[in-house]
Amino acid sequence: MSQTAQNSTRDALWAGCRDAVGVPAAVLVAGMIGFGALGHASGLSIGLTTATSFFIYALPGQVVFVEMVALGASGFAVALAAALTAARFLPMTLTLVPQIPKADRRRSLYASAHFISMTSWAVMMRDFAHIQASQRMAYFTGFGMTCWAVSTPATMLGYLLAGHVPTPVTIGLVMLNPLFFLLSFTEVRARASRLALLIGGLSGPIVYGWAPGWSILICGLIGGTAAFFLDVALGKKN
Amino acid sequence: METLFNLPQESAWWAWSILLFAALGTYAWRGLGVMLSGKIKQDSPLFGWITCVTYAMVAALVVRIIVLPVGVLAETPMAYRLIATGSALAIMVSKKNGLVAAISIGTLLMIVLGWLDPLSSL
Repeated sequence: MSQTAQNSTRDALWAGCRDAVGVPAAVLVAGMIGFGALGHASGLSIGLTTATSFFIYALPGQVVFVEMVALGASGFAVALAAALTAARFLPMTLTLVPQIPKADRRRSLYASAHFISMTSWAVMMRDFAHIQASQRMAYFTGFGMTCWAVSTPATMLGYLLAGHVPTPVTIGLVMLNPLFFLLSFTEVRARASRLALLIGGLSGPIVYGWAPGWSILICGLIGGTAAFFLDVALGKKN
Repeated sequence: METLFNLPQESAWWAWSILLFAALGTYAWRGLGVMLSGKIKQDSPLFGWITCVTYAMVAALVVRIIVLPVGVLAETPMAYRLIATGSALAIMVSKKNGLVAAISIGTLLMIVLGWLDPLSSL
């Protein structure tokens, strides 16, 4: 790698770290503080609660884990339920990685893949279009690593603060997460993607009513496919 | 497999072993994505279809979290969540780059509504 390319990679890495510090990190910290409080309220140890942020690093799955362990559900049921809520990571990764040039995809990508979260995915889907292809891998790594790095201490903080923070504040912090994602959806421009968001969003709660564990997979596959063909049927945009 | 999971529930490492499996189950999707991504071209219809599936999945999850939450959010009336969400969306759509304003006001509304709890006095 030439000196300039190396410099620009390092710059992109730092740019990713810098851009993560701000709204994205704030959203994650808020969500993890709320989650830490949930772990405390559910009677789990601080170590176990914090470790879920480090190892699972996917809030909906972590919430499922804490609630089901607290209820004493069978281990198999807990692991299955947590893994099912994470199914979204497959298509998320499949839409993120092809935007990175093949030459930049090394084995370390299997490690960086752990940094793929709703936050980093939503931001990359929006910003990759404005970032030079050769810098995307470094930018994503810097961004994703920063988001992941703040999550673990934030969870611990939330656990320790639990009971000292009024419940409405905890609720507000927990609400910040879904709000952020919902708001970032309004910035999605492609018609097919907008249709998918609409169909998925409307069907989500309905399908959850009769198939809670499988609802995300069902809505994604059926709703997403419907949106894809609806977009094709509507033809080229004028 | 079942015997492995049916350790005495009071033992601390019962919970830690579930964490191990939950973490592996979560990472598997990410790792599988990396493995399969080499076969997908960004300008193919397949990529377009997967993008649609992804957006439908995350939208289903996010709307479910707001409408039918588990955890602390479940203890709040749906009306509060909808008011906070609706206001934030309205601010976001009404002006460009209003993300920080929209998210702050939505969160603050949620806190204030939870604090004053106007529904409980009806």
